[in-house]
Amino acid sequence: MRKYFYLSFLVALFYSDFVKSRPVSYPGGLTLMLMNNSMKNSLHAHYSPTAKASFGYKFEYWRKNQFSLNLIQMNNLIKRWNKPDSQANFYLKSGLGNAYSDKGRFDSKNGIAGFAGISTDWEDQRYFIQYANRYTYAAEIDKFYTQSLHFGITPYIGDYGDIHTWLMMKIDHTPKFKKNFIFTPHFRFFKDVHLLEVGANLSGKVMFNYIFRY
Amino acid sequence: MKNLFLFLILLASFYKYSLANDPSSTVYAHVNGLVCDFCARALEKTIGKNDAVKSIKVDLSDKIITINFNENKKLENSIIEQLIADAGYSVIEITSEKK
Repeated sequence: MRKYFYLSFLVALFYSDFVKSRPVSYPGGLTLMLMNNSMKNSLHAHYSPTAKASFGYKFEYWRKNQFSLNLIQMNNLIKRWNKPDSQANFYLKSGLGNAYSDKGRFDSKNGIAGFAGISTDWEDQRYFIQYANRYTYAAEIDKFYTQSLHFGITPYIGDYGDIHTWLMMKIDHTPKFKKNFIFTPHFRFFKDVHLLEVGANLSGKVMFNYIFRY
Repeated sequence: MKNLFLFLILLASFYKYSLANDPSSTVYAHVNGLVCDFCARALEKTIGKNDAVKSIKVDLSDKIITINFNENKKLENSIIEQLIADAGYSVIEITSEKK
């Protein structure tokens, strides 16, 4: 299973020059998102035919229960509020595909998987806040609900092309897990088409996210 | 003959200078929702692919897009508004002079 994940990761890095943190881009835009935190590793590559929708491939490996998801994901921008100094969005996200586990009694278990959830955010050039949730169904392997709150502040405001630095916090809540709240302080660095988030949760487990848009 | 040659060079330089500063070849769009580099990139890509557009500059601080057009080409304001809407943003106003 690990080999499979590393192979997907390498493929994503290799193709990152060809693909172009929002779940929807501009018409014709390609986005690559690599997300790694204390719970899972994921890869999402999507294409936006319009500024209101995107579709693409999503891979997730949930480490605790050792299962992976291979999904076709759809993201829809339901509503955007554009203001002179800020922007707010409301998205619907959903995915459908396959779940696979090689753990214990689920050894080589395959089945239909999917998820559905919402994401809403508000940001200006100084502050950012985002709430997201989702219900995941992974055949007989796992079923769970997760939600997260993500917020941050930048100590300085740069112009387009500058390196933007954010001080951020992400709080993940998964009621099913024994340790159901995870706090992850981190930095966000943003320049042109690159967004990088690096941090660690309070147990010291690393968060590493990278987004590239073309 | 020499004077005529110098006069023609002077005239050509003046003509080139006047074209480069032709205010009608540049417009400034004041945009709502312009908050990050991804927004700027979206506008650059969506507007920049139009044949009439020579170059585009996004000013995140003032929320202004400067659009320079190719020679003898220009876009109606309604088309610029539509391109900005296609990128996911909205227009406050479009002017031919920077405010």
